[in-house]
Amino acid sequence: MGLVESNKLPKPLTRLLNWGRSSSLWVYQWGLACCAIEMGAAFGSPRYDVMRLGVIPFPSSARQADFVCISGTVTDKMAPPIKRLYEQMPEPKYVISMGSCANCGGPYWDSYSVTKGVDQIIPVDVYVPGCPPRPEALLEGIVLLQKRIAEEDMGARWRGEAIVVGG
Amino acid sequence: MVAAEPETPPPTPRHGELVAALGEALGADLVSHAYSATEAWVRVAPAGWLQAGRVAKEHLGLSYLCFISGIDWLQNPGLGGEKAWDPDVEASDPPGDGPGRWKTGVAGGGTRFQVFARLADLTRHVGLTLKVDVGDGPSDPDHPGAAPRVASWVPLFRGADWHEREAWEMYGIEFEGHPGLRHLYLPGEFEGFPLRKDFPLLAREVKPWPGFVNVEGLPGDDDSAEDVEA
Repeated sequence: MGLVESNKLPKPLTRLLNWGRSSSLWVYQWGLACCAIEMGAAFGSPRYDVMRLGVIPFPSSARQADFVCISGTVTDKMAPPIKRLYEQMPEPKYVISMGSCANCGGPYWDSYSVTKGVDQIIPVDVYVPGCPPRPEALLEGIVLLQKRIAEEDMGARWRGEAIVVGG
Repeated sequence: MVAAEPETPPPTPRHGELVAALGEALGADLVSHAYSATEAWVRVAPAGWLQAGRVAKEHLGLSYLCFISGIDWLQNPGLGGEKAWDPDVEASDPPGDGPGRWKTGVAGGGTRFQVFARLADLTRHVGLTLKVDVGDGPSDPDHPGAAPRVASWVPLFRGADWHEREAWEMYGIEFEGHPGLRHLYLPGEFEGFPLRKDFPLLAREVKPWPGFVNVEGLPGDDDSAEDVEA
């Protein structure tokens, strides 16, 4: 990836790579609470058929995943494993936070044991609101993530600068 | 004390037998008992807690432990229209059964914390709830800072292990003879006992609980209706 590191990736090649990356997303499912039922409906059922979007919900470990879907209540006890497995994912990696609990703590905003949002531990790319969100909402979140990947400047991401998503 | 009240319904025959047999075995350690139409409660003295469990398991056939848990009878601090808990009043006024301090449930109670357990006989389909006073914990005037404590039931029921760990981490009730009171649900470095009524929820220090705004008077309830309008 010398071209990417030196920021000399030609634009057509960037578009080609981004198209490939956004169309083949291996998702690591992190179901923590009731949102996992809706995530299962979105990822596992023929009715919603997430694979038509190119999302493949079969990685056997975080090391093979392109993005992780955190769905459900993140507790302070669960936070260290989430951070650890996020760090095990290969770059480039993305995070979808699904549901009110993972977004901000949700109904457990005053709890003694719930982390007030998974974004306190790992960076989140797409927040899907709802309690729980319907599978269609999660699919829309995936489409938004795909748009983000398609418009990404890989060189900028490699340098660690802020990614600006157009539109 | 509740058992002597006239409105207490009579026990079912099985519960009556159980309580009578337990009282025979424990003597003065059985402090009080109470019945409802389908249930029975027994309060035992702290010294008789382990013996009560042993008698119930080995002689009364109550061999199935449903759960062990704790109760904090302190008035809920500021919720549901009940009298708010005031640390200053707590410090100046010795605790007791007085109004506004804490309530006691069925079969009574003499301390802020209680441990209760439910045992069942799976062949005769009858259950019994046992309760025990475990001391006042941080508000005990005689032993400030002392933890409420009671004998562990782990020697009787191996399944009591995790139940007592949970009661310890949530209420700070220490079980003497437990093989290892470690955190079960909470992270190992967690400080405090979160199900105690006086445990501070930091988020509520910043933002009051929004459930208060939903309190409305019932139709025909004139006093609360005026409160809402005012």
